[in-house]
Amino acid sequence: MSIAGRSLALARAHVGRPARAPGTAALALAGVGVLAVVVVLAVATGSVAVAPADTLGILLRAIGVPVARTWSPAAETIVLELRLPRVLTAIMVGGGLAVAGAAFQGLLRNPLADPYVLGTASGAALGAAIAVLIPIRAAFLDLGLLHVLSFAGALAAVAVVYRLGRGGGPFAPLTGLLLTGYAVSSLLAAGLAMTMFLAGSNLRQIFAFLLGGLEGSSWLRLAFAAPLIAGGSIAIAARARVLNGLLLGEEAAAHLGVEVRRERAILMALASLVTAASVAVAGLVGFIGLVAPHLVRLVVGPDARRVLPLAAILGAILLVLADLGARLLGEIPVGVVTAVVGAPFFLALLRGTRSAYEL
Amino acid sequence: MIPSRARRQPAGLILLPAFVAILLAGCGSAATPAPTPVGPSPTAVMAPPATGAPISATPAASPSAAPAVTYPLTIRDNEGTAVTITARPTKIVSLTPATTEILFAVGAGPRVVGVTDADDYPPAVKQITQVVKLGAIDIEKIVGLGADLVIAGGNGFNSPDSIAKLRSLGIPVIVVYASDVAGILADIGLVAQAVGEAAAGQALDASLHAQVDAVVAAVAAAGAPRPRVFYELDATKEIYTFADGIEQDDLIRMAGGDPITTGSPTVFSIPLEKLLVADPQLILLGDAAYGTTPAQVKVRPGWAVMTAVKTGAIRPIDDTLVSRPGPRFVEALRALAIAINPTLVLPSAPPATAVP
Repeated sequence: MSIAGRSLALARAHVGRPARAPGTAALALAGVGVLAVVVVLAVATGSVAVAPADTLGILLRAIGVPVARTWSPAAETIVLELRLPRVLTAIMVGGGLAVAGAAFQGLLRNPLADPYVLGTASGAALGAAIAVLIPIRAAFLDLGLLHVLSFAGALAAVAVVYRLGRGGGPFAPLTGLLLTGYAVSSLLAAGLAMTMFLAGSNLRQIFAFLLGGLEGSSWLRLAFAAPLIAGGSIAIAARARVLNGLLLGEEAAAHLGVEVRRERAILMALASLVTAASVAVAGLVGFIGLVAPHLVRLVVGPDARRVLPLAAILGAILLVLADLGARLLGEIPVGVVTAVVGAPFFLALLRGTRSAYEL
Repeated sequence: MIPSRARRQPAGLILLPAFVAILLAGCGSAATPAPTPVGPSPTAVMAPPATGAPISATPAASPSAAPAVTYPLTIRDNEGTAVTITARPTKIVSLTPATTEILFAVGAGPRVVGVTDADDYPPAVKQITQVVKLGAIDIEKIVGLGADLVIAGGNGFNSPDSIAKLRSLGIPVIVVYASDVAGILADIGLVAQAVGEAAAGQALDASLHAQVDAVVAAVAAAGAPRPRVFYELDATKEIYTFADGIEQDDLIRMAGGDPITTGSPTVFSIPLEKLLVADPQLILLGDAAYGTTPAQVKVRPGWAVMTAVKTGAIRPIDDTLVSRPGPRFVEALRALAIAINPTLVLPSAPPATAVP
């Protein structure tokens, strides 16, 4: 048996698989089916009424199926240029945040970890706020200075946390890393408060970013975010066995042959890249990265090879539904909807579930 | 764990540039002027006049030379963007209350299909679909209405992202922003030409010119000293007044006052200390509609040393017209002139033309 296989067997023995858990493939298929239904629903709904039959026709025609045109050009523009890129961006961002959240939870062995725990949120927010103050109107691939600086800020913050969090010795203590993340986040949050104070009439723009929103979605922006998020997520999923090994603790994993420091750095970098790309196009959307992996683990257990793909699908479904709700409620920020709906639902689930798992 | 001295990173050097960047960005934003200057407009309205000089020193466009508007038409909006309108617009969307008033005043009211939730004049706008709610632009609705021209407000009034998105969908968007009274008149001409009502636009321009000149002449003739005016927008928490380089400053100057501004083009708040040093001789309460009275102002802590409070020169004023750079700005100008000099005698205003 390979080293990784042995570590997985140990992990499974330590944690246990919930009784009668459905197979991963069946769940993934069901998840994709639900996602497809939700996508069509989201694309068909909005402030302008487009008949569902017309929506399906527009989508089919767009992928090449010869369908007779019974709708106005305005409806086609609305569906293909406004709603469809928005829904696809929601899928990307939701899936990416869920995978990054699962990765951080496994890396830090902390069930409270979310994609923003190591300073990503504060760094991105500060970068965005600084960009709003700088009066440059440049755009590349539909990304203004705000998106570029928030992306850079998120990555820079994680880099700083990682550098500062590495104490002496071969193993970086997880607690030290988390505390460093908290301290750097607070520092950056102070910088953010300062820039918001100096922002004057531009304050609303900064606030809109902080609350998260998918209004500016377009095909070009998706072209920037999708390769980063999809590539990063697939790379993380390929390292699922390493995540399982790290679940046992650094020393045990090291004894089993996992290069702890290198793998930890790689996983952190990948998860931060995915988070930074998500934040750059959608602002700070909370809760999905924290809750989606837990919801999946309640059903299939902590095996990262099953949790990562299913969490991605669930995260995508959740964000598409949240964005649909935000649109219907009058373009309120998506982050508000995810928190207001997600928190009570998660609480109810935690109280109702019998099977336990350890992280 | 023994910290290794050799490996101790100079963490401060990483964070110091970040702080410097924040401070520079903050100072830089205060020093740089507003990024959207008033660009030249196609109607023959000229450079902004000097402080207090009557606007007729720079002549209005002669009414006889009103060219018919031909399409396709390419015009430059106030941000300098060249906007091409392929045909006479039949479905116009206005994203600012002032623009809606301009459209109705030049006779394009029946062609307006989208307005904002802040529009209230003329009364007919209440029946039109609202595409802006609380500042959020509903792009889907604008596309669904089949809009072929959108007129937006500059300097951040309407979100630049939404404007860029509309343009990327092929809808012509004209951005208007007036930083002085000449800019308001230029915008009226710009909008009138864009919608194909150049003649009505020039007539309105000439009429407004004449009214403005009458007020400025009356103010000059009265020869009263020019008081330092503080226009209060709000003072419940911070003190808000007009920023630098916006058209309300010009209005106050034309009305015979010397406006006290915040000193920055993007910041609308002024610290009390700065206001005390500026020492206004007259306080105009733009927040009178929200219940602020001169008696309340007199008892504010620290305000008693101001000349205006000592002499009791605190007057309420209706803010809705002052803050709207539309065709009714002359009414605001008249109200400001009388508030600044209550003994002023103005020539009677021409009867308001019935709006279709």
